[in-house]
This record gives sequence, structure tokens and C-alpha cells, in this order.
Amino acid sequence: MNIPIQRRLMTLAAVFLFLYSVILTLAPAARERSWDVDYRWSHWLGFAVWAAVFGLAHLLVRRRLPDADPYLLPAAALLAGWGLLTIWRLVPGFGAKQTIWLAVCGTLFLLGLRLAPDLHFLRRYKYAWLTGGLLLTALTLVFGTNPMGGDQRLWLGAFGVYFQPSEPLKLLLIVYLAAWFADRIPFQLRPLALFVPTAAVTGLALLLLFVQRDLGAASIFIFLYTAILFLASGKKRVLLASLAGLALAGVAAYFLFDVVRIRVDAWLNPWLDPSGRSYQIVQALLAVANGGLLGRGPGMGSPGLVPVAISDFVFSAIAEETGLAGTLGLLLLIGIFAARGIITALRAPDRFRRILAAGLTAYLGAQSILIIGGNLRVLPLTGVTLPFVSYGGSSLLTSLAALLLLLLISARDEEPAPLPNPRPYLLLGGLLGLGLLAAALANGWWAVVRGPDLLTRTDNARRAIADRYVQRGSLLDRNGEPVNATTGTAGDFVRVYAYPDLAPVAGYTSPAYGQAGLEASLDPYLRGLQGNPASLIWFDHLFYGQPPPGLDVRLSLDLDLQRRADSLLGNHAGVIVLLDAQTGEILAMASHPTFDPSTLDADAPQLNQDPATPLLDRAAQGMYPPGGALSAFLQASGLVPDETAAADLTALYAALGFYTAPDLRLPVAESVSPADELRVSPLQMALAAAALSNDGVRPAPRLAMAVDTPAQGWVVLPALSDPVQAFPAEGANQTADALMVNGQPFWEWVALVRTADGAFAWYLGGTLPDWQGTPLAVVVLLEEDSSLLAQSIGRALLKLTVQP
Amino acid sequence: MSGPILLVLRVLMALGLYAFLAWGLITLWKEIRQQGTILSGRKVPPINLTIRFEDQPEQVRHFTRPDITIGRDPACDCALEDESASGQHARLSYHHGQWWAEDMRSTNGTRLNGQRLSMPTVVVSDDEIACGQTRLTIGLAGNVLNPPTRPLQESAEKE
Repeated sequence: MNIPIQRRLMTLAAVFLFLYSVILTLAPAARERSWDVDYRWSHWLGFAVWAAVFGLAHLLVRRRLPDADPYLLPAAALLAGWGLLTIWRLVPGFGAKQTIWLAVCGTLFLLGLRLAPDLHFLRRYKYAWLTGGLLLTALTLVFGTNPMGGDQRLWLGAFGVYFQPSEPLKLLLIVYLAAWFADRIPFQLRPLALFVPTAAVTGLALLLLFVQRDLGAASIFIFLYTAILFLASGKKRVLLASLAGLALAGVAAYFLFDVVRIRVDAWLNPWLDPSGRSYQIVQALLAVANGGLLGRGPGMGSPGLVPVAISDFVFSAIAEETGLAGTLGLLLLIGIFAARGIITALRAPDRFRRILAAGLTAYLGAQSILIIGGNLRVLPLTGVTLPFVSYGGSSLLTSLAALLLLLLISARDEEPAPLPNPRPYLLLGGLLGLGLLAAALANGWWAVVRGPDLLTRTDNARRAIADRYVQRGSLLDRNGEPVNATTGTAGDFVRVYAYPDLAPVAGYTSPAYGQAGLEASLDPYLRGLQGNPASLIWFDHLFYGQPPPGLDVRLSLDLDLQRRADSLLGNHAGVIVLLDAQTGEILAMASHPTFDPSTLDADAPQLNQDPATPLLDRAAQGMYPPGGALSAFLQASGLVPDETAAADLTALYAALGFYTAPDLRLPVAESVSPADELRVSPLQMALAAAALSNDGVRPAPRLAMAVDTPAQGWVVLPALSDPVQAFPAEGANQTADALMVNGQPFWEWVALVRTADGAFAWYLGGTLPDWQGTPLAVVVLLEEDSSLLAQSIGRALLKLTVQP
Repeated sequence: MSGPILLVLRVLMALGLYAFLAWGLITLWKEIRQQGTILSGRKVPPINLTIRFEDQPEQVRHFTRPDITIGRDPACDCALEDESASGQHARLSYHHGQWWAEDMRSTNGTRLNGQRLSMPTVVVSDDEIACGQTRLTIGLAGNVLNPPTRPLQESAEKE
């Protein structure tokens, strides 16, 4: 009965891991959406070693322990293989090391199957075992190192091999406690005599761990001691007293140890400091959220973004790549293992082996729940490993040793010992089951309920990674000439800024500094999340974990005119806005000084500090006092300066659009309210000036004209607002004619504003009402005390534009 | 194209995992049902202890639990008023299909049918255990030597 079950389960485990390996091999093809990629092969070495070790283990168990529990070995084998392949996937170098560890520990495990199932050697020499473990742990006080370079010196190292003695110490403590209670319980019912020696020994071990700041292991020790004391005595008050003690110790540790305080604070309020103390847990939750229901697939997520994903956060890595479906399976697997452990304990032939089996189960189950709960923000984070799964030789050795002991205990050819009171065992099993259930619920919460919200967080680096793998749409000028475009191949796409002088307007997209300008406001189209059918976006996320290829956006800008505007503005700080007065299409928009977005990574610190604010789009985000520039509008509306009621002025400014921010898919400054001192952006001024060349109608501004969708070709992006009759057509035309430049088909108006902040020169101009070509309007603003220069720039641009 | 192929593989992989779990749980369920039927057919045979101490009237106590502690300590299942008995004096336990008597390092020792008890020993009906001055006579209902769980002995008897 047992052996067929075990064989079937081992086969299924091998099938699962084989498919995992196949997907991991093929994953680069999906990430880069091409078959011409470098496939991953190295992890097959891990799979081969896994198959050899556990295949042999299966055969040896069949021969030597035919009555052993048939679920323990396959469940542990599946966990170990899953962990091993996940480590290979995360860091192949550590995968290779873990493979060696598996080969070594697996060999020891196979040899261990020859041990006598009565485990007499453990029981008799319990003090020797425990002393050895304590001494080894004590050695870390002197010789301790940390292979990862941290503060905690918990490892003993030699020849590049590191070992953490507190891992096997857990096992030895369980052995000691089980042996002690098994020998004493029948004879001594006085609690004190039972309690004091074990408490002293456990306290000694705890002291060692506290000195070493290995608080994760310490909490496991306290739990194990409590659990075994409860199992052995069957007294509920032991449980209550221990719980009170644990709470007390936790509060004391919170005030005594900085690391505890940091961890607990990060646990209670992770969102307050997501880039500092809570970085790990927030990134882990993002990984869980990115996994969603089905996961991104082995090799297709980005679990490496979580620090120490191979050991402490291996659960979040698994959650990202196999999703809720995978992690629920993992939790169920741990649950089955724990249930079989409890059953093994109940059927054990004597009290020692019964307490030992229950203690081992408590150890594996509680440590799993502790670290999974830490990953899912159910519990504070403790630096313990996920048994069988996490990277680490000592952890694997300890887990396999626990498995070996459980197998030996379960391989009974004797009757179970009588069990007067099974309740503590059932309670332990129930507690572990509840813990796993809580973890499953939390997992569902983060993966499904909160997931979509979490993924839009700006500290989710997956967006930046997707940008490297998915082509971003281009920004094109009205003639199809690229402004910003993405080149390269999947895996290292690079944004190329073909016309860098437009940087303040067109903006940039950078993994380190985010997005600005049109790159930010048009991001949903450029990233392919808008304009594509929802089904395509959904399937691409399911298939590739990426958005679909981005869509090109055509702008109203004319790079020929833009070049002229930029060369005219030269090194002067200021703005030129040139637009089609009728349609509101912006033909040129220059904001100087400018910057080169292709060297942003190197320049960003200086650019942020630069008093000349090159990052600012002065045209849409600079707010300037209009001063005398308003006279032209007063004239057109028939109002006389200094004799006009404030209400009439407010109405005029509202009609000119000075109290509403232009709406055109471009980041713009908020407009002032009527109560404030009037300030206008050059873009607002240009739209108002356009009314003078367009029969008094202020056009709705347009910059992004159309988007190239796969289904329908170029789709027009309509204006987001409506044209407004700012003043009567007659007044506008008369004013334009009155301001006409001699011998030219355009009007102009120049004003100089001097304020405490400095002087600003405005130039407003536009075509005359009888102009037969495209009606144009231009605004020049200089942050200089020179209206002549503004005038010459504005005139030159208008001349160049009206003369074909 | 790689995406849909890999999705199929991913679904297959998840199915592999759940096949493992489903198969494990189904066999577990079967085993639990089987275990339940086996265990419901097997009970600890009840034991009667006839207690005689000095001049006090004979007292018969009936136990159905598999583990009985005997001693002066009132916490014992079978508490004695005998000053010459130890706190935890002896123990009767049922395992391997038998009732066993065991001395628990008592000061004055335990005797079974007059012999000093040095190791756990099988007891049968009418055996007499002496703890201090107290005599306990075992009374077992049914044939304890041939419980239904020992098929080997049954077949041996048939021969």
C-alpha cells in the first residue's frame, strides 16, 4: 500500500519539476518575444542532481523502510526541488552551490536511512548531542563570519563553505527535550523538577542566540520549547504561561534590540518608509502582487528585485512566478507534510519517538509559517529560512535530517504506544493548519484584492524592466519625423532623443528618474496600455507579463519650424510658442535653456540644482506676469485701460482662458484664480493671441494629434476643450489691422514687464484677418530686459513662417 | 507565439502540482476512513482492580483507560491510602495487545505474585500486585491473550 503511493507521488513531483525546468529554459523566448534568444540550460544540472538524490532515496526507502510514511519523502522532495530550481532561476551561481549542498546532504540522508529506527543513539547521548550543538553555536561568538557581509556573524566558515550552527541546534534541542521528557514524565509529575533543567538548557541556547542577535532562531526555540513542554505534559496552563512569556519577551526585545524595533515598525507601517526600512517587505508584496492568480511563469517575472530572494524571500519569488495557484499548492504541501508528521507522532511506538516526531513537525511547520507570514506581512519579518526551499546548506541539512528522523520513526513494525491524551497533538496540528490557512488568506489578499493597486506604485521597478523588453511607442512630428523613439532589441531597448532641444516639452523616460513632459502625459499610449484592445493587454500580461508593444503618437509640432524657433531663441532664457490660430495645433514650442535627456543619468543631480531650471517646460509650466501685453486684448474687447470695472476685466481674462489651465495631454501649470495676481503661461498667452488672428475665437490647443493603433491605423486624438469666442470678431479684426506691421501680413504687440523677480519681454504676433494662408499666432517670452530682442525674434519667426 | 506555448506549459505545471496534492489527499482520505474502521473495532479491554488494604473492606475499581498509575499521590489514577506505598508506585499500561505492570522506582518495590517486579511484565487475570501493604488483584474481561489485533497468534492456535 505504502510503496505505490510513494512511487506515484514521486513521479508527479518529478513531472512538476521537469515542466518547471522546461518553462525556465524557454522563458527568455517569451520575455524577448522571439525564438532567437539565449535559452537557459544550467538549471538542468540541479534537476539531474535532484532526480538522482531523491530517486535513490525512494529506492532505499522502499528496500529498507517499506512501512515508512509514503507522503513525507515526496512532499519534502517536491519542496526541495522547487526551492532548488527557484534558486537557479534567481542566481545561477547560488543554484550551483545549492546543488552541491543537495548532493552532499542527500548522500548523508541516504546513509542515514541505514540507522536503527529505534533512534536509541539519539536518546542515550542526548547531552552529548546538545552540548556539541551549543559548543558549535558558541564558536560563532569567536569565529563567526557572515558570507553576505552583514552585521550578524552567525556562520562558521572554512574554505569558502559556510555553515550556520544555529540551524542544527534547533534539531538537537528537540532531540534533547524529547529524550528528557520521555524519560522523566512517567516518574515525575512535579512540574518544577520537570521544568527547571530543560528551561536552563533552553535558556542557555536562547542566551547564545540573543547575544548573536539571531532573533528569528530564538523565536523558533521559544516556540519549540513551549510546544514540546505542552505535548509532554498535556497541560494547557503551560501553553498559556508560555504565551504570556513570549509576549513579554517580545515587548522586551522591542525595547532592547534595535533590529527588533526596526522589523516591528516596518511590519506595522510598511508604507511610511517604503524605500528604507520597509523596502524588503514592500518589494516582497509587490512581487506577490505581480504574481497574481496564475503567476508570471518560471523565469518570466522579476523576483530578483526583492533583496535576499534566495533565502528569506524565496516564498515571494515563488509567489511571483507561480502565482496564487502555486503558493496555495505550496502551503497545502506544507500542510500535508505537517499532517503526516502529526500522524507519525501519534503512531510512534514509544514516548521518545512520539515527542520527537511531534517536535520535528512543529519545527518545520512553525518555521515555514514564520517566514511565509513575514513575507506576506502577517507577522514581523524574521530572518529564518523556509525549510527545504530556501538557499542554505545548514538549512537543507537540518531539514533533511528532520525528514530522515520522521521517516525512521514512521517506519514502524511495532504497535503504537498507548496515548492517554491525544489532544495536545491534535491542537498542535490544528495550530499549524490555522497558521497555513492565515498565510493562504493573506496571500490571496495581496495577490488578488490589493494586487492591481500595488502594481501601480512608483517603486515598482517592473515597469522600468518592461520598458527594456517592450518597444515603447515613438513621438513623431506632424510629418512623421521622430522626436523621441526607442531603438535596440528586446532586453535592451533604449530611448533615443532625436531632437534633444525639445526636451523640456517632449520630456524623458528614465528608469531612475521617472518620466516628464509628453513622455509622462502620453505614457499610457506609448506604453501600449491605452489604444490597444483590452483583450490584447490582458493576454499580453498573461502570456508575457508585459504590456503590448507601445503605440506611436503623432504630434502637431513641425520640426522644421521648431528648428527655426530654437535657433532664433539661441541661448536666451525664454519661450517661443507658434500655433495654428484656427485649429489650435501647436507648430513649435521652444523652452530654453534646455537639456539633453540622453545623458540624464549623469546630469540629473546638477539639472535638479540648476537655478536656470532647464527641466522646466517654461511654455506650459512657467507663469509670468502679463503686464502691458494685455493691452491688445483690452483694445479688441473694446475696454479702456484704467476705466474698466474689475468684474469686466475678470470676465475678459476668463474668456481669454487665463483662469483655466489649457487641456492638451501635456503637463501644464495650474492657472491662477481670479482672486490672485494675474500670471499666465506663454501657452495661455499664445492661445489668447490666436483669437486676434481667428475672428476673436480662442482655439482649443492641440499637441498630440493621433495615435497609431494596430486595429484601426491612425486614430485622431480630439481636442480636449472647445474653442471660445473671446471677443467680437469685429474687434479682433480691427485690433489686428491696427497693430499691423508695415509691409508684412501680420500684426504684433510688444510689452516689457519689470517686477521684483526681474524683467520679462513679451512679443505677441499673428497673421492679419485677410491672410489667405494658414492663420498663425506666435508668442515670444524672454526672461530678459529686452523687448527689442523679443520683437526681432518674433518678427523673424513670423516672416520665415509666412514665406513658404 | 512563445507566450501561448509557455502558458500551456505553465498550466500543465500547475496541474502537475495539483495532481500531486489531489492524489495525496485522496489516498490520505481513504487511509483515514480505513483507520477509523480498524480503530473502532479495537478497544482497550477494561480492567478491574480489587484492592485489599489491611482491615478495610475490599474495594473494586473499574478502568477503561490504557494507562493507570498507582500510588499514594492523590493525582494517581488509583490512589492508595497505604503509608508504605510511594507517591508514584507502579503503573499498569495496555500496549502490544497486553496489559503490562511496571514498577516506577518505588521505595519499597512492587511485587507481582510475590516476585519482585524489575521490568515491565505482562499481567493476566487473577494476578496479584503488591504495592507496600496493599494487594491489588487484576480482573480482565475477555481473553486478553488473544486480542483480535494479533492475527499471528490466532493462526498459530489454529494449527
